[in-house]
This record gives sequence, C-alpha cells and structure tokens, in this order.
Amino acid sequence: MKSKMEAWVGKKMERREDARFLTGRGKFLDDMRLPGMKHAAILRSPHAHAKISSIDFSAALELSGVIDVVTGEDIKAMSNPFPCGVNVPTEYYSCAVDRVRYVGEPVAVAVAENRYIAEDALDQIIVEYDVLEPVMDIEKAVSPDAPVLHDNIGSNIYAHRDFQYGDFEDAVRQSDITVEGRYYFNKFGSTPLETYVVIGSYNPFTEEFEVYSNYQGPFVNHSLVCIALGVPENKMRWIIPTDIGGGFGNKTGLYPYAALMSLVAKKTGMTVKWNEDRREHLLASATGTDRVTYIKAYLSKEGKILGLKDKVMDSPGGYIRPPEPGCSFRSTGNHTGCYQIENLDRDVSVVATNKGLTAPNRGYGCGHLYFSLESIVDKAARKLGMDPAEIRMKNFIQPDQFPYMTATGGIYDSGDYPKTLQLGLDMIKYDEMRAFQEEARKQGRLVGIGLATVIDPSVTNIAYVTLAKRPEDRKEKPKSGSGESMLVKIDPLGTVHVIACTNPQGQGHETVICQIVADELGVIPGDVTVHNVVDTHQRVFTITTGSYSSRFASVGTTALVKALRKLKKKILVLAADMIGASEDELEFAENKVRVKADPKRAVALRHVAGRAHWDHGGLPDGVEPALYASVVYSMPTSKAPDEDDKVNSSNTYGFTGEAIVVEIDRNTGEIKFHKWASFHDAGTILNPPIVEGQVMGSIAHAIGSTLYEELAYNENGQCLTASFQDYLVPTAMEIPRVEIGHVESPSPFTALGSKGCGEASTESTPAAIANAITDALSPLGIEITELPISPSKLWHMIQEAENSN
Amino acid sequence: MKPSKFEYNAPTSLQEAVEILENNEEAKALAGGQSLIPMMNFRLAQPGALVDLNNIPGLDYIREEDGSLVIGGLTRIREVETSELVRAKCPILSEATGFIGHLPNRNRGTVGGSVAHADPSAELPTVLTALDAQIRTFGASGEKSFQPQEFFLSYLTTPLESSDLVTEIRVPLPATHAKGAFMEISRRRGDFAIVAVAVLLEIDENNVCTNARISLGGVSDTPLRVEEAEELLEGETLTEELLRKASAFSAEIADPESDYHATAEYRRNMAQVYTLRTLKKALGMEEEGSK
Amino acid sequence: MDINGKYTFNAQPEQVWGVMLNPENLRDALPGCDRLAEQAPGQYEAVMKIGIAAVKGTYKGKVEIADAEEPVHYTLRGEGSGAPGFMKGSAVIELQKSDTGTDVVYKGTMEVGGLVAGVGQRMISGVVKMMLKQFFQNMSKKMPQQTN
Repeated sequence: MKSKMEAWVGKKMERREDARFLTGRGKFLDDMRLPGMKHAAILRSPHAHAKISSIDFSAALELSGVIDVVTGEDIKAMSNPFPCGVNVPTEYYSCAVDRVRYVGEPVAVAVAENRYIAEDALDQIIVEYDVLEPVMDIEKAVSPDAPVLHDNIGSNIYAHRDFQYGDFEDAVRQSDITVEGRYYFNKFGSTPLETYVVIGSYNPFTEEFEVYSNYQGPFVNHSLVCIALGVPENKMRWIIPTDIGGGFGNKTGLYPYAALMSLVAKKTGMTVKWNEDRREHLLASATGTDRVTYIKAYLSKEGKILGLKDKVMDSPGGYIRPPEPGCSFRSTGNHTGCYQIENLDRDVSVVATNKGLTAPNRGYGCGHLYFSLESIVDKAARKLGMDPAEIRMKNFIQPDQFPYMTATGGIYDSGDYPKTLQLGLDMIKYDEMRAFQEEARKQGRLVGIGLATVIDPSVTNIAYVTLAKRPEDRKEKPKSGSGESMLVKIDPLGTVHVIACTNPQGQGHETVICQIVADELGVIPGDVTVHNVVDTHQRVFTITTGSYSSRFASVGTTALVKALRKLKKKILVLAADMIGASEDELEFAENKVRVKADPKRAVALRHVAGRAHWDHGGLPDGVEPALYASVVYSMPTSKAPDEDDKVNSSNTYGFTGEAIVVEIDRNTGEIKFHKWASFHDAGTILNPPIVEGQVMGSIAHAIGSTLYEELAYNENGQCLTASFQDYLVPTAMEIPRVEIGHVESPSPFTALGSKGCGEASTESTPAAIANAITDALSPLGIEITELPISPSKLWHMIQEAENSN
Repeated sequence: MKPSKFEYNAPTSLQEAVEILENNEEAKALAGGQSLIPMMNFRLAQPGALVDLNNIPGLDYIREEDGSLVIGGLTRIREVETSELVRAKCPILSEATGFIGHLPNRNRGTVGGSVAHADPSAELPTVLTALDAQIRTFGASGEKSFQPQEFFLSYLTTPLESSDLVTEIRVPLPATHAKGAFMEISRRRGDFAIVAVAVLLEIDENNVCTNARISLGGVSDTPLRVEEAEELLEGETLTEELLRKASAFSAEIADPESDYHATAEYRRNMAQVYTLRTLKKALGMEEEGSK
Repeated sequence: MDINGKYTFNAQPEQVWGVMLNPENLRDALPGCDRLAEQAPGQYEAVMKIGIAAVKGTYKGKVEIADAEEPVHYTLRGEGSGAPGFMKGSAVIELQKSDTGTDVVYKGTMEVGGLVAGVGQRMISGVVKMMLKQFFQNMSKKMPQQTN
C-alpha cells in the first residue's frame, strides 16, 4: 500500500509572503497613486479640553498649492455622529465640532498639492480656544465635582453594569481567607510599522464614495461609516489592499478617518490621500484603555478560590466609539481565567477622560484582566504560604472537564492546563531556580520567579459588546456571530484560487491557506493562488470580517476547510463518474483524484476541472458548470448573551503561561531576566514558525507595555510620550532569550483543531513580570500594582522600603 | 511630518559654507543630520536654509599629531568607534561612542555635529569633557579654540556664532598606562543617557593615582566635571572606600531635572552609583552586588 | 510644571521694582521677545520667538502684570500660542530686601502644550529654568550701579 502523503499542515513551511516583503514588492497603500490625487494634513488640538471659539484659515488658503480647508463645522453639516452601543447619547464625529476633548483631536483638514504644502497650511490656521479643565484620572472622572466632558450625557459615565454569577454571597460565607488589591493597567498601543493611510474620493455623478485604506476590520464599521456619511452601503465602497504593515487591533480604530477623508473628498471634489505620521499615530490613532481594578478573592484555607469580587473602571478617552465599550466586556466568558471559580460579583464602569481614543489592542482587555487576577492569585498564595505553582494547579480546570462552561458563559473547548504549566516549570527548572533564589537572597540579591497562567480567547463573538446594555435593553435586536467567508475556485487547467476576506496584516494567512488547500485537494502549496483583499462591493463579507482576535487560525481555517470540502463533494461526483468508481472509494492525492485501494485508477484534478469548464452539456444532471464553492461560516458557539448576562464571548480558548526568573539591581532598580519560558496549549499548530513568531512578538509587545511603553499624560492633559524618543518601544536589545514550549490539545470546535495564538503572551506577560518582580522584592514587602514598571520607580520603592526599616 | 520650506546649499569649501552662513541668519549647517533633520520634520526647527557640509573635502580624518588624537569635524561617529588608532590610543573614546544612538545614527552622525548640538545627555560631550579635549571652530571671525567647559554652556547652547563650524576635536592622548571606562544607564540601549559617566585614571608604579578625571552627562544642563572627586583621588591609593567617598561628590554636583522616565532624585543617585561602578570598571575591580 | 526660585540683585527693592516693571526692560529681558505693545496699564500684547538653538517657535499672546503692590510683590502672567503649541505661565514675584540688595522670589506654574510638550518633555523643565536665568541676568544688566 502507498504510504499516506505527508501533511503540509503542521510543517515548518516558509512564508510565501516573505519574498515580496523582503524585496520591497509588497503592495501597501502608500504605494498607491491615483490620478489627480491630492494630500491632506490634519490640524490637531493642542488642548486636552477646550471650546473652539473660532477657526481662521484665510491665510492658509492664500498659500500657493493649497486647495481647501475643511473644519468640524463642515463635517457636522455633512455627516452624522457615529452610532455606539451604549445607553447614553454620544456625539462622536470624525472631526471636532465646537469642542475638543483630547490632545491630538482633529480640528481641521488642509488639502494641498502635496503633504509639505498641506502642513504649511496647518501652520497658517489660527484657532482660538476657550480652555476648560481636563479630567485625566479615571477614578476622579466619576467624582461629582469633576468637569463633565459631554454635556448631553451629563456625567462622565459612558456605561455601567453590575453582574452576579453563581452564588457569590455563599462563596463569601464559605471562605476562610480573603486577599484584595488595587491594580492600575497602563494605556499603550501597538505602533505598527505602517501607520493609518486613507485615500478618499467621491463621484458626484453616481453619488458614491470610494475609500482605500489599510483598515483591519471588523467590517461592522462599514455599516457605521455609512450611517455617519448618511448613505446606503452600496454608495460607500471600501477597498483594502493586499498587504498591511501590522495591525494588532490598532487599525480597527481607523474607520473615523475613512469617514473624514470621504467627506473631505466630497467637499473639495478631489481624491485625497492622508498618511498618518508617527506623532499623530501616538496621539490620536487608537490605544488600549487604561484600567483601574479593585479585586478581592475569597478562598478556602486549602487554597481553593471560591469567589471573586471586582470593580473595574476603563476609559476609552474623550469619546466612546465602537467597538468600545468592548474593552470591559470582551473577556467576560474567560473572566475566571484557567480556574474553576463559580461565584462572581462584578461592577464595571466605562468613563470619559481627556485622553486619546481607544480600540482593541492585542489581547483586547485580557492583559488588564489577568494583571489583576494573576496578581491576586499570587497574593493569595503568599498569604497561605503556598507555592504559586501549587495554588494554580489546585484551581485549574482539569483535562477531563472539557468542554467546560465557565461561570460567565464561556465554553472552553479543550486543554491540558496542568501538563502545560508543568512543561513551563520544567523548562526553567523551577525547583533549581527556587534553590538559586534562596542562595541569592542570602547574599542580599533580589531574585524573583514569576508565573502567570491565562486563557487566551480567540474568535470574538461580537455578542459581548451588547453586555454594555441590560438584558431588557438588548432584547430587541440581538447581536452575535463570528462569521468568516471563503471562496475556492479551480481554473479550467486545474490551478486553485482561494479568494479570502481575512484581511491579514502580516500574519501569514496566504501561507497557511496554501498548506490547508494542499492537504485537502492533494496538490502542492505552489499550485495555489491566494487573493486576500476586502472590497465591500465585490467580496462576500459580513460584519465580523477582518483580522482581529486571532480569528484566522480558528474560524478562518474552518471556513476554508468547509469551502474546500463543499467543492470536493462536487469534484468527487465528477471524478467518480470519470473513473467509474463510487465517491466514497476516492481520495485526493498527487494532483489527482484516485481510488484509495488502487491508486492507478485515477483522474487528474485538471481533467476534472476541464470537464466542469469545457463540457457544460456533458455534465451529470444537477451539476453546475465550473468548479467553485463559497462558504460563510460562523462558529455555532457564537450566541447572544443570555438573560443572566452569560456569554460565550469568544469561540476557542487557548492556555498560555510564562515562567520568568528576574533579578533587580538593588542600587539602580534595573531589571535583568535570567530565564524565561513561555508555554502554550493552543490546539493543533498549523505552522510552527508562524506560531513561534507570534509568541515572540507578543512577548516583545508586552515587555514594551510592562516596562517601557505608556501614553503618559500630565495633569493638564498633555501627552508626554508623543514621539519615539519618549514612547519607548523595546528593541531587540531589550528582549531576553525566551524558550517556547507547546502542548497540543486539539479544539473539537475547529476543522483542524487549531486555536488562535497571536495575542496569548501579551495577556500573560504583564502579570508574569509583575509577579516576578514582586517575588524578587518580597523581602522588602514591595508589591507591583501599577504598570508600567521602570527602574526609577523601582528604585524609589526600594528606597522607601529600606528607609522605613 | 514634513519640514517647512528651506533653501538647500551644498558648498564644496569651508570658506564658502561660512560665507553662506554669515550672509543668511536663517541658515543652519547640516552635517549628519541626526538631530537637525528630525527636529525639522517635527517643524520644531524651521531653518530658512541648510548648508550641507557633506561635500566639503578634508574634514573627515582621525590622526595622531603632537601628542593628540585629532579628529575632523565631519568624521562619522562610527569611524571613531571602530578606528584602530582610537582604540589603541584612547579606548575610552571608542567605548563612549558605542553608546551613541543606534548603528544607523552612528553611520551618519558626525563628531562635529554632536559637539555643536551640545545635548547635555549626549555621550560625546561627556567623554570629551573628561578628556580635556579641545574644540576647534572656524567661522567668519576666524579660527577659535575652546575647552569643553567653555563650550558647553547650557542646553543646546554654545558660544558658536552663526557662521562658526566645529572643524576639529583635539584629544590630548591619555598616558599609556591610563585606565578609562565609560558607562551609562539609559531606558533602552541607544537612548539618551539618564546618567553617563566617563572616568580616566592614571596610577603610578606605587599604586598612587596621579591623575583623575571624572565627567557626568545627563545630570545638568551641561556635562559636568566632578572636580572634588578628582582632587580626592589624586595622590592617593585607590581603595574601595575612597572610591565610594569620591562617588558621593557626583550626587552632590548633579543638578538634574525630573522627566517622565526618571526623577531628579533617581538621576542624582544614579550619578553616584554609576560613578562608583565606572571607577571600579576602569580599575578592573569586582562589580558589587547584583549586577 | 512648578517654577520656583530666587534671584538676588545688587540693588534696592524700589530700584528693582522700577527696572523690572518697565515695559521696555521687560521686552529686552524676556528671552526671544520681539514685540511688547502696551494695550492697557499692565497689559501687553506680545510676540515671542521662544526656543533654543535651531528649535524655535513664534508665539503670539499676552503678558500681564497684576496685583502689583510696589515694591513688595506683583503677579506676572503670560500666555501665547503658535504653530508649535502654546505656553501659559503665571508667577507671584516677591521683592525681599536683603543685606546685599534684593532677593526676588518667584513662585508659579508654567504649562506647555502641543508639539513641544509631546516631543520635548525631556528638556522642557530644564530649558524653562535656563530661560528664567537669562531673564534675570538680562534684568540684572538693567539695574543701576550701586553707589554706596
């Protein structure tokens, strides 16, 4: 018998995209030149909070090469505010109208022959502001005497919900000990290499907008932009190029500029390009929220976590816009992490502050969640005198419990948490490291070991956004889903095309699609061509379309496999007829369809394609000409929240953890990493180097957010870190050597058993570093409760602790 | 992030460059452009004209002359860093330049540009201050020569007149038995120093320190010489205890500002910690504590 | 940003007062001040070119002297805006007689916004200090020579 061909999925296949990226042949939006294209520059507010009393742009119009200046007044006259899923009235336009609410908010747009002149024009625009007191602190924002940002809302609270899951009061009664803390998670972004780019145009004859941009989705925002523009969806065509230079969630916040450049194009009658510069990007694109969490854990004396109470305050900045307030609700289903915790009491507020606006940011809300949860778990372990690994093992969901329904409605698909943590502990030689720590402490050295174990949710079920509303308020129009579309077609000579709509930003979708097609159709990856652009007029898309929440590895691949299998059914009908065998005898291999038991009885795939294309009249009854199949697939586990506010907010759930050994320099506060193990159970691995790249990237991203990066504001609302001189993205020099290990527990919910892994370590790393540093400084009684951590801050903590002894 | 309009000049002689600078008060000299160009892109600087010095021959050299290391103003930082002559005769200078920005910055950035820019956190002004280097300039009022303390007056402030260009740095060669070290603490590798320390020590055959020079960067509006510490060390056998005492002067003399990344108090203390570490490194003494 | 400090002049409080509140001296001493036009007593319209080395921005705005009690104290306020953003400051200035002359003690706050705040935070407080020093040094040159 012939040996089964080796599968392409799971192979270390090199990325097909890299040759074009590495030789400068990527097709990015900035490479695009349209006829007659003009250039826009945006004047931005220098104030955090002010009324606009006047804008005088007459001098700007006198400059040679300046075409026009568009202000918020124009924008208000030409468009509607963006809708948002909260109960309070919001008025968010793509440009400030009357009032500015954060430094960097667009105030006017100058259009000119080139970007240089457009920026010259900005220098000539005189804006008079009537400065108002800003609100910069989340907790102060809700105090009754705080200045109110939005008069029509009447307070700084965009949304507020209380939740109870399980029998919380009983958990409190049963508990023997409690631990609590306040944690602050910082505001930071993603700084993709490619910033936002938008080209807008308007055809006055068809009354149609056409926008090119490097938007990453979700395309629910196509509808929202259309509502803002006041046009039906067929009058706003949105096209995304093949290549995008990084997204990380940041580019989900691009859509207001799609509206803005549409309107500027309409007002000026020109095709207008705007390329965000790095300062604009840091000030005003999109970051994650900052968050204050008060958390209290109730435990038995054996270390079982019986209940959790938390009060969370997030701030999406000066305006709330979709998908916020998702920041506070996206992690609902996995709120209890990898632990069996049945009883919860939650209080969630989403508040206005005069800071830049937010959007999903790699791990949307989960880094925030686990920083508080994993810190409090460690704190409980310290109080109980337990080892942090032991308390985790004690509370883990066990391998035989899957699928596991969490207290908040999450349906965990698979995993072996104890085995994966054990792998991580073995990787750093945990026991040896504890012995090393003890020795080092005797010498006065500050060595610490930190663990964090988390659940990485993938494939957002957009239902979670509706949790911002009470069950009675969201009954009318339920929302749910995680749909992905895929179309596969085979040419008359047998080559395969996949027409995807997954909108990648560097994740290697093309490569993985080819691997999957090769396995399913028995071809080689080189035979497959992938087209991956979103065009709202020409592609089958749905509101969830886009690449975010690591959707591709789970739902994207599942949609692809379903489309391929649909197509294979048709191929089998034709091939069976051509070979004279029955369909269930056949297999796809070596570019042929053949009889499994007798491979010589075969028909070439291209001959099947030839028949489907070239002999329509000779096709069996009921078989359509040509070879293609199209699927839009949504995970069946994506349902709207129930009446008890339970929701399966994602669809696959990976397990991730970090085990880190650090040493703090007592005299300088400098942090050194001795060891780092990153351990994962993300189901079946489709392409190992891509996964390793995602893990390393996530760790680097989170080392940045934990130790270096912050959108920091002073009390007047000025952003202090609006350039790469002060917004410190770590370089290779700041990233330690990391050992990566995997356990593979296939997901029963996806076609190939795979799950997402692109965000996992951004969620576990902040808590793990904080726990390691807290452990290192525990002889001094220091706890890390605020991020980011810097040597200067650590040094002050150490000084204070030493001086108080 | 595009610069405002400027006239571009590319003179091929020093004289011509000086003439343009002299006749156009809006003009700024462009060497490596590692500070000026970003500032222009931000429009923090909007010079009406640039005088590009890169086409002027003969300003790019490193040689030994009359007991000094002589470096032309247009010499790239990377050339200094990798120069065999510099490594052999004045290793501390090579060591210090390795901390300047990142490789692409050092490939383009020039010695004259860094000195003329006078950033008090920059490595070159700090190390040149320890080395008692001579800064030579040429302009409409002729040739001039400055000691570092006369040259670095405050933030980005020097006695240079608008047409003056830094043409040459002369570094008196340290004694062959001199021991030097340069260290800094910064947020990331390549960032401006929170504190930078340059140390040069001469120890005679009786183990007595005959010459000590210590300079600090990042802790005031100019690089600072820690003269009290130098005086304390000179004429003494350098013990750990003495080095500690000397380092304390760094904290005393430092007059740093707080910024987002580090408080003034932290900087002041790091001046002390890093002075000690740099002194010990220069002497090849065991690192203390957990480093 | 807080701006607190002291500068000592070798002159009597009355003399210092006379010099420091003279609009012409104020114009000459304020670093980068191109124009200072009196609009009303103690109120001036100002154009300032503020910055160091090549980093300069033009700010248009107001300078105001208020709460003046000769020769004891006054409040100096200033604000200006331009392409690089805005600056706004206010300080109470007290003249205290000392053995050698007059201590001018200032206590106030300064706010810098926009581009300079976002990309120049590393140097702002130091540069503000440096300019204050320049201001007082310039004023010092305007003081009458002590005759006693």
